Amino acid sequence: MELLVSILVLGATHALLAAGIVIVYKASRIVNFAHGELAIVGAYVFYSAGLITQGQSLLLTIAATAAISALFGVAIYVALMRRLVGQPTFVAAMVTIGLAIILKAAIVVVWQSKSVGINLTRQTLYSFPGGGRLTLVDVITVTCCIAFFTALFAFFNYTRLGRQFRGAAENPLLASQRQVNVNLILALAWATAVFSASLAGVLFGSRSMLSPQSTIIGLSGLTAALVGGLDSLRGAVIGGMLVAAATYITARLIDPALSEAVPFAILLIVMTWRPWGIYGTPEELNRV
Amino acid sequence: MAMFSGSPYLRVSYAETNRILPEPYQRVLVGAVAVAALVLPAVGNAYLIYLLNLTFLAIIGSVGLNLLTGYCGQVSLGHASFLAIGAFVTAILANRYGAPVWQALPAACLVGAGVGFVVGLPALRFRGIYLAITTLAMHYAIIFILTTYQANFGSSATAGISVPAPALGPYEINSGRAWYYTLLLVSFGVVLFSLNLSRGYIGRAWVAIRDRDIAAASVGIPVARFKLLAFVCSAALAALAGSLGAYFTGVVTVEAYTLELAIIYLAMIIVGGMGSVAGAVLGAIFMTLLPFGIERAFEAVPHAWRLGTTSYGLQEAATGVAIIFFLLFEPKGLIEIYRRIAEYFERWPFRYRELQPAERR
Repeated sequence: MELLVSILVLGATHALLAAGIVIVYKASRIVNFAHGELAIVGAYVFYSAGLITQGQSLLLTIAATAAISALFGVAIYVALMRRLVGQPTFVAAMVTIGLAIILKAAIVVVWQSKSVGINLTRQTLYSFPGGGRLTLVDVITVTCCIAFFTALFAFFNYTRLGRQFRGAAENPLLASQRQVNVNLILALAWATAVFSASLAGVLFGSRSMLSPQSTIIGLSGLTAALVGGLDSLRGAVIGGMLVAAATYITARLIDPALSEAVPFAILLIVMTWRPWGIYGTPEELNRV
Repeated sequence: MAMFSGSPYLRVSYAETNRILPEPYQRVLVGAVAVAALVLPAVGNAYLIYLLNLTFLAIIGSVGLNLLTGYCGQVSLGHASFLAIGAFVTAILANRYGAPVWQALPAACLVGAGVGFVVGLPALRFRGIYLAITTLAMHYAIIFILTTYQANFGSSATAGISVPAPALGPYEINSGRAWYYTLLLVSFGVVLFSLNLSRGYIGRAWVAIRDRDIAAASVGIPVARFKLLAFVCSAALAALAGSLGAYFTGVVTVEAYTLELAIIYLAMIIVGGMGSVAGAVLGAIFMTLLPFGIERAFEAVPHAWRLGTTSYGLQEAATGVAIIFFLLFEPKGLIEIYRRIAEYFERWPFRYRELQPAERR
């Protein structure tokens, strides 16, 4: 039971991270290597916003972080990605790697590599017989994940913009000829991605300490996205849960040191066995 | 035979177009750089020589990566792990078995080539970004194995594995100056090797695969074999750089071979200009000296210590800024700037260029 809850919570964080990578990949065929960095920087921004509002208003802190994240996502698209249209996709991927380095350095420069924790709440809801605890943060994490995916599902299926998004993802040229504003769609994709990254980062930061090294969670997110399929949101959830389960079970039953190796071991297995992931589209491979 | 082939239009034979330095002024330029490089230790201080030694090591690695990513077009995030393999094989052989340098160095290259072959196998199946992700996973796998090895090495586990100074016969290479001439010689050899590969059949096959692998296969190039060859050559050169680096620093720790290092090497060839040996050399010089330049600039700022880790952060950020800046604004790198200047003088007093001359190296 306790194991299941831990996997669910860890999986929810991974799924959120994977969702951001999937949204950007769906919209623009760009694999975002800066996602872990975006998440941790988002968490640091939340921490600083919390300091500025002095814990008076949690709502204001959340709103500020969300607004900054979304604007930052738009800025990434307008300043960097828009200029790379028509270039090979690995050029854009290299630019996200460059961005990742800059963001990681930003933590060093702006926050002086300080190790900080986000204190949302320390409330324990239930203590397991084995010594584990179900905290309010755990519940919030899973709720946020469910809410985010429900919102995405509703957006893609029941709104005009969401349908336009899917159209633009499938064929940008045709979509633009049907008067879909592809620029808007792509900017929206980046805004959503960075927002979800920040959300995942804040949730991560409220359970463990933040430091420049935490950006490694990007690798778990990328693995989760690849396991599920880079162009499948459904796959992001499944992938996140699978990676979390594999990591957690290895840490529990075999060796905690080995658990760090699990994400890339899964990555290697998936890449040799089924590179397009569980729900991904096989012909995606030929397009890269 | 024209004595003075001032323009690529006037070259009349294959041998003439395929020379390493076709223009007289290029020969003068390279000669001047060579003379300067030879006499520099006599005038430079120890710090400068140390920086240049680091640069030579970077040149060996970046020229190796350029063969793979620049010529053959296979993006690899695993270059740091190849360096680590070279360094660890050297350290293990020299420390455990007391192997002399003439055994440890080739052994490191051979093991590096073998690992390159294995890491290259996925390249037969993937292209572009999927290959990059696979090499990323390979990087973590190799580093994980080496970390485990180092942790179980013995008493010196956390400090790393020490490597004795290399000795060739009675001569021990231990001073900065001795290292300077050794590394100058080796990097010169590597550059020459790489130039010869690139201007021959192998190099042209790689370029064909980079530009369109299906087209390359249709003109009879064995794509799989040449992709693997690129991985093997590149990994062997990286292992060479890693091995020399291990001897140079005298100690090998796995912490030195991070993913950031692999990205810095990619940054070198992006900044210098992909698919150009001279570009890889320029990029290696640029990326090696940039952090020291920033550090120097910060020393000039009054009360710099108050800024804490800012200087370190900016040095880190410089890599990212360099990658993004060059990819967005000068995708062909520093070498393209040189080409434009050279072209201006070559065409002078004319400005236009009608034909695309054969690409110069």
